[in-house]
Amino acid sequence: MKEDHYITFDNYLNNELSGAELASFEEQLNSDADFKQEFEIYKAIESSLSSKFENEEEEKALRNTLSKLGSTYIKQENSTKKKGKVISFLNYKKLMVAASIALLIGFFLFNNGEPVYSDFSNHQALELVVRSENNEAIVKAQEAFNSENYKVALEQLTILSETTKNDAEIELYKGICFLELDNYVEADVIFDEISSGKSVFANTASWYKALSMLKQQQFEACKYVLQRIPESADEYNKAQKLLKKL
Amino acid sequence: MSQKPHADHIYIEALLKNNSKVLSEIYLKFSHKIISYVKKNNGNSDDAQDIIQETLVTIYHQAKEKNFILTCPFDAYFYLLCKRRWLNELKKRGNNRVTIFEDDTSITEEQEQQVEETEIFEKQSQLFESKFKELGEKCQELLKTTFKIKSMEKVAEILGVTYGYARKKKSQCMGKLTQLVKNSNEYHQLKAY
Repeated sequence: MKEDHYITFDNYLNNELSGAELASFEEQLNSDADFKQEFEIYKAIESSLSSKFENEEEEKALRNTLSKLGSTYIKQENSTKKKGKVISFLNYKKLMVAASIALLIGFFLFNNGEPVYSDFSNHQALELVVRSENNEAIVKAQEAFNSENYKVALEQLTILSETTKNDAEIELYKGICFLELDNYVEADVIFDEISSGKSVFANTASWYKALSMLKQQQFEACKYVLQRIPESADEYNKAQKLLKKL
Repeated sequence: MSQKPHADHIYIEALLKNNSKVLSEIYLKFSHKIISYVKKNNGNSDDAQDIIQETLVTIYHQAKEKNFILTCPFDAYFYLLCKRRWLNELKKRGNNRVTIFEDDTSITEEQEQQVEETEIFEKQSQLFESKFKELGEKCQELLKTTFKIKSMEKVAEILGVTYGYARKKKSQCMGKLTQLVKNSNEYHQLKAY
């Protein structure tokens, strides 16, 4: 009978079969494909559910950690996109008073407060070596970038990066444009990619990754990246300076 | 099997030990690519966060139950798992008509194999769990108690039955569950691998 099957499976898995019983069980396992299949399923279910129920508490704890990390490192969309509000004239007066007070307080706090992105975002001018093709895009990109017109610069750099694949310098400046335009996701992808590569721009990319974290006010992540910029890097001094302020 | 773990196996260990310091590196180093992919394909960063978390929990379970050893770099393995999970999620939401933005991540055969191993592991666990829920309440309770408390003597005591009866019932419930799994379509699909 079927039911006896399962009792035998259970006994076998508990090492409770011996002698003739064990021999006959193993014999059937070898000769009866259906019996064997059922045993395999039985064993797999037992292993899976045991592990699942045994580790319920542990899984909960892990989920807790991951949720926290997720909200620390993955910027929530709603909080970054704040819409402007139209303010009525009556409130406007009150607001002006509040604003001037805020300004005063801000003035006193400024030197002790958190460092801000703009204090550290002095970009090296874009000076691409003139290549054989697409000189027009190069000139336009440089002009736009160096006059802080990041939207146009990004367009031109994108054209360039399509023709010259994997040029770390062009990619890096694309990243800077994204960062300036508050497109953090795209920026971070680029910085991560370059900083984990072997190009001469690896450390610069790490520095920009830190700046991106700073601009997103993810100070812990920013510190983490800064601490990994080696002493040999050109950006080491800047990194240390920013670290002290964090 | 003597597989040599990749240096990135530290991330698997971090999952097992709930080591938030090492786990934070996963978010810092690998999450942006995934967020970018999800966002390009009809999702937002909340979706990406869920996808990342569920993928990590699955890897945790695989490591816990099957002693999963990572033999390839974590980056591509993890990215591909998250990507496929997101595509599945889109399918579930009935977004079949969206055009999928594809990227050219190159992947080795070994990585592909590890990704598949994890996916099969998950499908199997999900199948067992869903069939478990089809069992009667009594069976569910008995099995759950059995798996949590290893000793059948204690299980019998808690449930207020004799040891012999508890053992017999357990086998019966497990037998029922085995049948449910064996006769399901999902099981036959899994077997094809």
